[in-house]
Amino acid sequence: MLQKLISEIKVTMGIFECDVDNTYAILAEFADPGALYHAALDVREEGYRKFDTYSPFPIHGMDGAMGLGNSKIGFFTLGGGFMGLALGTWLQWWTGAIDYPINISGKPYFAIEPSIPVMFELTILFAALATVAGMLVMNGLPRPYNPLFYSKNFQRATDDGFFLAVAANDGKFSLKATESFLKSVGATHIEVIKDHGSAE
Amino acid sequence: MSNMLKKSNSLLWLLDPVQSTAESAEDAYRFSGSARSWMLPAGIGAAALIMTLVSWVTDPPRFYISYLIGWTFCLSLTVGGLFFVIIQHLTKAYWSVVIRRISEALIWSFPLLAVLSIPILLGMHDLYHWTHLELYDPSSEAFDPILAGKQSYLNTPFFLARFAAYFLIWSYMAHRLYTLSIRQDVDPDPSIPAQQRKVSAWGLAVTAVTTSFASFDILMSLDPHWFSTIFGVYFFAGSFLSIMAFTVLIALTLRRKGMLKDAITLEHYQDLGKFMFGFIVFWAYIAFSQYMIIWYANIPEETMFYRHRFEHGWGLYSAVLLIGHFVIPFFALISRPAKRTLSVLGFMSVWVLCIHWFDFFWIAMPTQAEHAGFHLVDFTAFIGLFGILVAAVMYRLSRHSLVPNNDPQLSESLHFTNT
Repeated sequence: MLQKLISEIKVTMGIFECDVDNTYAILAEFADPGALYHAALDVREEGYRKFDTYSPFPIHGMDGAMGLGNSKIGFFTLGGGFMGLALGTWLQWWTGAIDYPINISGKPYFAIEPSIPVMFELTILFAALATVAGMLVMNGLPRPYNPLFYSKNFQRATDDGFFLAVAANDGKFSLKATESFLKSVGATHIEVIKDHGSAE
Repeated sequence: MSNMLKKSNSLLWLLDPVQSTAESAEDAYRFSGSARSWMLPAGIGAAALIMTLVSWVTDPPRFYISYLIGWTFCLSLTVGGLFFVIIQHLTKAYWSVVIRRISEALIWSFPLLAVLSIPILLGMHDLYHWTHLELYDPSSEAFDPILAGKQSYLNTPFFLARFAAYFLIWSYMAHRLYTLSIRQDVDPDPSIPAQQRKVSAWGLAVTAVTTSFASFDILMSLDPHWFSTIFGVYFFAGSFLSIMAFTVLIALTLRRKGMLKDAITLEHYQDLGKFMFGFIVFWAYIAFSQYMIIWYANIPEETMFYRHRFEHGWGLYSAVLLIGHFVIPFFALISRPAKRTLSVLGFMSVWVLCIHWFDFFWIAMPTQAEHAGFHLVDFTAFIGLFGILVAAVMYRLSRHSLVPNNDPQLSESLHFTNT
């Protein structure tokens, strides 16, 4: 049960599990961003759910084509914001009124008015940090080991290659049918990626 | 001026300096409403204003301050319109082309506001404590050394000269920006956008300075011992906020009558909503900056401004201002769906305009009234002056194309989408 949940969460990060004979995914290359975009639409329409796309730059509308929906990143931001607000309030109160109270021209040790800038700034800081951290987590980054790296060709995903990988443990996956389907939607190059756990 | 654009006769000039060009407007952009659309607000405004004028006889001090609040509200809205038009030209913004005509119609209200300021100038002795000459006489009991030190700035002749200068400058800029844009409707002269930018370039600096000083003169000097250097920015924040709300409401009114339905889309409303949200936060930021710095310095002549607004029942009003001008609109407008739901955006625009008026009420009324409280004349002055202003705007809109036809960026604006 827990393992299934973890594997589901990993799928949303683009991390897939191998099937029995260590096949990880089929990696298909496309000629240009437009072809990749339409391929993503077709792959999703065909019923595949565990797949990911790779391109050197963001492709406008790709999240919609892949059916990703609204990002949940806002919840990280909100949580971080509240944490920062709480920390800022506590910091102002504890340092000013508890740990080291100093009387400055008769002002209260702790008052909300001069504390607001600190509370505000820490809210923003923590919200921003939580957003970046949440972005990394939800993307499954950093990811130093990815079976796709076994493909020499895949290096071009950071330069001029546009790739789509369909995971081998997708319910609809079958080596032959998926391969021919990807070809039919315009893949220029197809590669089966096996994960042996180490580079040979 | 182009010979295609004819000057209005001198009587109408106050309402619209050029003759109607509605016949040459494209069908989709022509005002299709009846004369009722400006006669109705004019009627309501006139009725409320007459009720207000009755109190000029029965209770002059209350009349003057209520009138000043309503009039300043209209002034800040019009100044906001001037800023908005100027910024759109300077940034070559294309999203706003379809809604720019609303602000352009608004800014020609400066001459009308100058006429409507007569009761304020007549009531200066009641409104402005610094006009009392005995304050400056060392042998008098009322001698006030602080105000005597400010006399070289705060004196009636110089005040009137500044007041006239503001309106001359604003009216000149408004005339240039308004007539250039109307001329473009009938005369596709390719040099017009450059001319508009040229006026806007020096206009932005001049408007910033004049608005700041006008807010010092008209509002801040009601409490002549008090000063706050950020007050001009505070005034600007409110005026830019209110022009957004005003634009939404006029656009929605036109939409209800079937005008500009396809021109002003949800995308434009969402952007107006974003601007509104941004300036709600900006207003709060500036208002809080002013408050915190005064709190921290704790100098008597500064803190008395807030102290007075925490006592005699004004504390409740201060709380209402904080919650109504920041907390409620902040949460109401933060989400994307709220900005794209026209009923929510429309409601919040009414809210923002009302609370903006309340902001001026909160600034001005405590200088005259010891104890907190509303008076009927506060509302009639607000409704009366605002009704007249809306009527003048609708009248100008009805006489010309509803969008700047021939603006090179019009088609981009029509197809604008948020990413």
